[in-house]
Amino acid sequence: MKCEEIGELLPDYLQGSLKAEQDELVEKHIAECADCREDVVIWKKLSLLPVEQPSAASRARFEEMLQAYQTGRNDRATAGVERAKSASLWNWLRSPVGAVAWSAALLIIGIFSGVSAGNYWGNKPTRSNANQEEIAAMHAELANMKQVVVLSMLQQQSASERLQAVSYSRREDQLDPQVMSALVHTLRYDGSVDVRLAALDALSRHGAQPQVHKGVVDALQEQQSPLVQVALIDLMVEWRDPDAAQRLRNFVQTPNLNPTVKQRADWALSKLN
Amino acid sequence: MLEVRNGTGETLGVLFDRYHAPLYNFYSKLTGDRTLSEDLVQEVFLRILKYRQSYQPGTPFRAWIYQIARNARVDHYRKTPRHIMFEPEMAPVVMPKDSAQQSEETALLHRALMQMPEEKREILVLSRFQELKYDEIARLLGCELGTVKTRIHRAIQELRQNFKQLERGLAPREAGPAVVKTIPPRRFGNEV
Repeated sequence: MKCEEIGELLPDYLQGSLKAEQDELVEKHIAECADCREDVVIWKKLSLLPVEQPSAASRARFEEMLQAYQTGRNDRATAGVERAKSASLWNWLRSPVGAVAWSAALLIIGIFSGVSAGNYWGNKPTRSNANQEEIAAMHAELANMKQVVVLSMLQQQSASERLQAVSYSRREDQLDPQVMSALVHTLRYDGSVDVRLAALDALSRHGAQPQVHKGVVDALQEQQSPLVQVALIDLMVEWRDPDAAQRLRNFVQTPNLNPTVKQRADWALSKLN
Repeated sequence: MLEVRNGTGETLGVLFDRYHAPLYNFYSKLTGDRTLSEDLVQEVFLRILKYRQSYQPGTPFRAWIYQIARNARVDHYRKTPRHIMFEPEMAPVVMPKDSAQQSEETALLHRALMQMPEEKREILVLSRFQELKYDEIARLLGCELGTVKTRIHRAIQELRQNFKQLERGLAPREAGPAVVKTIPPRRFGNEV
């Protein structure tokens, strides 16, 4: 067969969509014809060109653009209609920014009323127990509110907001079980490496909790990012987890493991033994 | 996509996650310019927002988004005349896992690709890197399936020739630095 005839088949050959007998024809020709063979080689070589990653700023720019677009649209929509205006206020209050503002406002009211109640009732010993209870209840309410904010922010599209949520959660010495499991979920499934690392960092302070402990140790097998893998391995060494060694031995067997990660895991194993 | 079309902004985030890296690669392989590529990707998503009503439900979304991407590029060049030539600093990021020889080859390949006329490069990028099917490309470029295959074959041939030429051109340069160390520059050599 001539090169021109093969040329018609070649594109389909390269995408693997030829019938078996045509496939054979092309392969027979390639074996004999250097030019056509090199065409195939260069096509395959193109896979050497790396898949490039856009910069992290690109996502932030997109979010800004989206927000600007939506604000512009809302402004237009609310120009004449009063009802639409209250709807957008309602939307704002329901948005994460609104939620934070809400909780901040409630927090201030809570502290203010708590302090003034304390001052007012503080002089009357008969009521002080009741007041302390009330203040404790208020504190509990506030803590609850913060959890709701953290939980709702962890669901956000924007990675920077999720990062913020993780850092909010670190302000509490005691983590609510729900927040904890949300953080473990973030560590395992969040799309952004930065957010996963931050979640791991926040969780690392709560290693004494069996739920956290298990979540972190379990996360290793599923992680794709070498950065997170190394951080997880380091933490397992730090915690001296009883079954860490076994887990790491299994982990090292993973095919196509990043060499740096493998090296770290081997190092960790030598430390643990 | 239907949700974007009907006006919910959050779903655009999902589309962004799925398409922004492929689109970025489409542009960066086509233009060799990272900053421009990022700008164009932003432009594509802005256009998706603006023109989302023009998307016909039931038609392939990928084709629609690449149509927008091609138009955005054409419009960009209409506004700002191009003066972009391939420069070494635009060479692709070389992964650390590459051996020296492989990264040399990658750089040559990238140069060979950038030397091609843009339409040929585009068809290669679409078929090889964006992994579009030939019939999708045909619809996108508004031509016959057979024409797409012919063009791809020609583009591969040209790439192969460019690459060979560069490879040949490289051989003496590779020996260059080592020679300079031991032998004095040629003009002195003539005087001796």
